[in-house]
Amino acid sequence: MTCEQARIQMLGGGEGKDFAEHLASCESCRNEVSRIGTLWQSLDLLPLEEPSGKVRDRFYEMLGAYRQGLAAAETRPVRHWWTAPAWQVAAAAGLLAAGLGIGYGMRGNGQPPAEVSQLREEVANMRQLVALSLMQQQSASDRLRGVSWAYRAEPSDREVLGALVTAVNHDSNVNVRLAAVDALRRFSASPETGRAALQSLSKQTTPIVQVALIDLLVDLKNPEAAPELRRLSGNETANEGVRQRAQWALERLQ
Amino acid sequence: MAEVSAGQVARLAVLFERHHRALFRYFVSMNGDREQAEDLVQEVFFRMLRYRTSYDPAQSFTAWMYQIARNAGVDQLRKRGAVQVVDIDTYVERRAELVSASPGPEESASRGQDLALLRRAMDQLPEDKREILVLSRFQGMKHEDIAEVLGCEVGTVKVRVYRAIRALEQIYFTLEKEKAS
Repeated sequence: MTCEQARIQMLGGGEGKDFAEHLASCESCRNEVSRIGTLWQSLDLLPLEEPSGKVRDRFYEMLGAYRQGLAAAETRPVRHWWTAPAWQVAAAAGLLAAGLGIGYGMRGNGQPPAEVSQLREEVANMRQLVALSLMQQQSASDRLRGVSWAYRAEPSDREVLGALVTAVNHDSNVNVRLAAVDALRRFSASPETGRAALQSLSKQTTPIVQVALIDLLVDLKNPEAAPELRRLSGNETANEGVRQRAQWALERLQ
Repeated sequence: MAEVSAGQVARLAVLFERHHRALFRYFVSMNGDREQAEDLVQEVFFRMLRYRTSYDPAQSFTAWMYQIARNAGVDQLRKRGAVQVVDIDTYVERRAELVSASPGPEESASRGQDLALLRRAMDQLPEDKREILVLSRFQGMKHEDIAEVLGCEVGTVKVRVYRAIRALEQIYFTLEKEKAS
């Protein structure tokens, strides 16, 4: 192995018998590896710049607009012979008559048109996606943003509910756990919410999150919570504030 | 990306959340302008949507994304009608502030100064050398992916990375001498 080959190889990790043998026999390369290697490692210490929150807002605006544009393009008609003005006048008259007829037939129905329903569904999907994506991020502030997006999800959205429950149970950041407990209220109509809150209460060790879960169980009027609350209020190793709150909750639920 | 390419454009949100910071840092490292870097991040994701059908799932997504990023960067320079306009003094000053703002006790002050010097050396590297260091060191890209982005052989990438780090070392020591004198 030549000196040049060895020096190029060192940046890729410098492994292998040839490389080791060359270094052992070449003082110049040993010095080079030490010097350049230190510089190479130092690059890791340079601070990382963070984009502002505007980037995210602009991206989602752009994505939403693009999807709307796509949907509009898909429904745009192709030009044919019947697009000539004379045919259009005749078609307009026919459509007017048909529209009046359909309108008369649909009066009192109260159902939104299919396009509106489809659009609503797409918006709901988008909100779900944003919430789920953000809640999986490494940065706690991003996960907090994800939790706030959960408020925009449909109350029947089980995926977002599941992500919130996971955050309450496993997120390393107490603020995220706390925000996720609050966001669970959005899903109060689901019986899963009460069950999940109750299970989380038995797992939590942070007093502030325990209190938030107790309040949630009271708001949900979950009678199944009574045994756990009784256990907590009588647990002498538990935080005093948590015990008092559990006692208060028991009285409220009875 | 394969799902986006197949028409599920909303899935681009997942890619955005995964890659937008790295792209932002790439552009900031290349042009030193945060605002412009944010515009370019937006442009890259827009182009991903626009050219989504050109994505080949057999190709590395990272390589494809940085090819788009490089093109977007070049196009913006063309649009502005300049090779590259960077107020180096303001830029270096701001970078030095960022470095010295790093938390740490007194003993880290000298390390902070070294890092500020290292950042200045990076900024003074010729663009092609800076780019290859940014891709290989800061973006953590494989040599194979960099080769795909730059349109060259993997062996050439290795040589160019080595030359770039040597050039960085020379600039760094020059700056250090200037500072000492």
